[in-house]
Amino acid sequence: MSRLEDNAMGPEELSGPHPGGADRLGDEPAWRRLLRRARVGVRDRPGYALLGITASLFAGLVAVYGLSDVAQRTLNGLVAGSYFALGAVGLTLVYGILKLVNFAHGDMLTFGAYMALLFSAGLGLPSLVAMAAGVLATAGLGLAFERLLWRPMRRKRAGLLQLLLTAIGLALFIRSGIQFVAGTAQRSLDVDVLASVEFLGLRIGTTELIVVVVGVAVLTLVAVLLRVTSVGRQMRALSDNFSLAETTGVDTSRIVALTWVFGAGLAGLAGVLYAAAAGSFNPNLGFLLLLTLFAAVILGGIGNAYGALVGGMFLGLTQEWSTLVIDSRWKIAIGFVILIMVLIVRPNGLFGRAAKI
Amino acid sequence: MTRQATSEASAERAREDDERSLLVVRDVYRSFGGLRAVDGASLDVRAGSITALIGPNGAGKTTLFNLMTGFERADAGEITLEGRPIARKPPHTIARLGMVRTFQLTKALAAMPVLDNILLAAPDQPGERLSNLLLRHRRCRQRELAIRERALELLDSFDLRPQADAYAGTLSGGQRKLLELARALMAEPRILLLDEPMAGINPTLGRRLLAHMRELRSAGTTFLFIEHDMDVVMGEADRVIVMALGKVIADGTPDAVRSDTRVIDAYLGGTP
Amino acid sequence: MITFALALDIFTQLSFWVSVGVLAGTYGIFACGLQLNVGFTGVVNFGQAGFMAIGAYTMGIAVVELGWSFWAALPVAVLVAMAAGLLIGLSSLRLRADYFAIVTLAFAEIVRYTAINARDLTGGNQGLIGFDGDWARLSGGIQEALAPVGLDGEFLLPLLLVTWTTLVLLVLSLRWAQGSPWGRVLRAIREDEDAARALGKNAFAYKLQSIAIAAGIAAIAGFFHALNLSLLTPNSFEPLFTFLGYAVLVLGGLASYTAVAAGAVVLWTLLEATRLLELPLPAEKVAALRFMIVGLILIVLMALRPQGAFGKREEMVLGD
Repeated sequence: MSRLEDNAMGPEELSGPHPGGADRLGDEPAWRRLLRRARVGVRDRPGYALLGITASLFAGLVAVYGLSDVAQRTLNGLVAGSYFALGAVGLTLVYGILKLVNFAHGDMLTFGAYMALLFSAGLGLPSLVAMAAGVLATAGLGLAFERLLWRPMRRKRAGLLQLLLTAIGLALFIRSGIQFVAGTAQRSLDVDVLASVEFLGLRIGTTELIVVVVGVAVLTLVAVLLRVTSVGRQMRALSDNFSLAETTGVDTSRIVALTWVFGAGLAGLAGVLYAAAAGSFNPNLGFLLLLTLFAAVILGGIGNAYGALVGGMFLGLTQEWSTLVIDSRWKIAIGFVILIMVLIVRPNGLFGRAAKI
Repeated sequence: MTRQATSEASAERAREDDERSLLVVRDVYRSFGGLRAVDGASLDVRAGSITALIGPNGAGKTTLFNLMTGFERADAGEITLEGRPIARKPPHTIARLGMVRTFQLTKALAAMPVLDNILLAAPDQPGERLSNLLLRHRRCRQRELAIRERALELLDSFDLRPQADAYAGTLSGGQRKLLELARALMAEPRILLLDEPMAGINPTLGRRLLAHMRELRSAGTTFLFIEHDMDVVMGEADRVIVMALGKVIADGTPDAVRSDTRVIDAYLGGTP
Repeated sequence: MITFALALDIFTQLSFWVSVGVLAGTYGIFACGLQLNVGFTGVVNFGQAGFMAIGAYTMGIAVVELGWSFWAALPVAVLVAMAAGLLIGLSSLRLRADYFAIVTLAFAEIVRYTAINARDLTGGNQGLIGFDGDWARLSGGIQEALAPVGLDGEFLLPLLLVTWTTLVLLVLSLRWAQGSPWGRVLRAIREDEDAARALGKNAFAYKLQSIAIAAGIAAIAGFFHALNLSLLTPNSFEPLFTFLGYAVLVLGGLASYTAVAAGAVVLWTLLEATRLLELPLPAEKVAALRFMIVGLILIVLMALRPQGAFGKREEMVLGD
């Protein structure tokens, strides 16, 4: 057989494990063949697979609980999905630089929220300005840590354990630092938590609506920038495969700096939006969201910004939909469950390379 | 023994072992996302022989090694060791069945002492199971003393005895190669797969390695090694197997292979 | 200045050292499990607090809800924790290291979450009490026995003695196991799994054993922690506990079990001292400051001396 025949058969036909020996395609039971086709379909067209799952879930829930309940939850889910997606995209972008999932990322969300608080309640700036300032401050923080901590560690070729423990130490330091300055009491940003908007029989808080709009707008902008601009493409290349990107002439130190600014900035924004939507927050904000962000990033495929975006939205939706079925205090568990399921079934995520651990 | 006498003796042995193929590979395939690294390779290695596996870069030699030793799974095909099918078994099982390999980039366990590296490889260590440590303590101790003695002897024969207690990370590159070979031997393999044993070592050390190999072969160990150094291949091997583009394109004595046009073409870049 | 000098006086008080000792002992036991996983098998376990919670709550529930004897509940709780370790290991050890860390962290959070929400079983945030009757009797007995030596005033002293005896026994056992052929395989796996596999070692099985044993060790730490507080609450088992355990590990070094004990003493002396010293700051800020220090310890040590105080550089498996 020559190489050309590969394309006809398709790569996955040969890569799956086969119990028999040479003859494996001939006498398979029909259900096994169908299952394999389904897995192939998910592997080759993960986006559609996820869309399909989401649509089926939606349809199923509507059938059981009625459209208005489900629609209301969907709206809430979009709100949560916005800040999950923003946090997840930032996390996945910096993954390529760190080569590990950054345990300190959640605390950058916290930092963003508290910086916004500082600028508005502390310095008296108008809310929107304060929030923007919070985002910028977080971007600066990310860059500072890159220069002070991550770059020297990279130069020293630090191992995974060293990096993991450094990230943990950093997370603890940031969180306790915030606690030291601002205390542990619940705080809020100066946003309107009472006003709400009604349409089509659904209700959504005005602030939450703004959160969704801003979130979706920024996500769209990010998605476009990453695809269209040269800088964006280089960032994606870097986050996907650092050493390969280096050899293809990507100006690493500049792009690394930009990626941090971008990733940390998005984290700050996610934190600010969460604080606005949730109404109140405390220094544990980031850590509570961290595992959900991990789930989103891993679901989407580590290093893949679009995957993180989609993963974040999906998690927001499923988390809110779950409140129809289970008590709302368990809804955070949904993120954990999805995380564990993804890691067991398809650890490379939807948009990552096919699972080969 | 002269070179000629050695190859005559090994040819005779090869004839004797003709029926006994120790390792058989039949129609093995392995793809990575559309790229066929191993594309229907078949070969067999006779017991007691020194067989060389050669071919241009990217021919699939190391992948084939990985497939044979369980570090990668073949998509299709059969591999048998002493008649036992081993195609999709895990690496540790295959090692226990007597096929031990070394790696292209030596995996000397740098953070452990040299002696520990060797002790690790000894087969049949009851002390490796917690249940035995707790319940059959004396047996564990006896075996540990026995393998310790053997390990020190082995280190002696490789002139590494003085470094027994040093961390393997402090050894030179050449010494690490010797360590890896010594360690592989400690495992008492039926067949030893060496991935580029001569790479990156000076000629004197190379000669010592080859001398060891010859001694071991006369004691009954079978060798299959990947190598680029043609002098070594032509001088030491009883049989040469040539791979290119994932297939085996030639298989025979060094002289036969040397003049095979397909082999020449493969090295010069033409497709077979 | 004078206030500060007077405050230093706490170092001469026995009660300070007893409370440091109990905490150091508990964390030392906890971190021994981490050392087995990380320092000697190369498995990054961020869920140790979860195993600890499972052990402690199993004991608490067995005694309080099911009416078991405290002494019977202990070994059963250890086994349950080990079973949880096996479960996590079987499902997740094939993942790469940072994913495994995430899974174990998620698992620990799920355990904590369950403890908070399954109020009927665990008492929720209010906590579970009443499991330490048998222990209180034993402790009282030990205190009386110490009367001739004049040490019967310290309430926690018996717990300190039992905790440290356990820690010493544990360190000795682990050191013995580490020097055995079994321990040799673990060390090889830590450094290079493929090399170990090529020599016939079933790396997965060994890693599984490592996790299960560490889970059992965490359960034991959980018992001591519960007895120290006389209360079982989910807050005791936050991820912070695991991260403090890592700080202990990293301080002493990833090279020996004795180092773990030393690291635990150093860390807790530091932490308790900052708590009791009369610093010109409100208590809440001091608490936050303590954890900032812990975070800094982790960062600085990883950057400058990853092998810790007692580690040997050559034994550090650095760089991928």
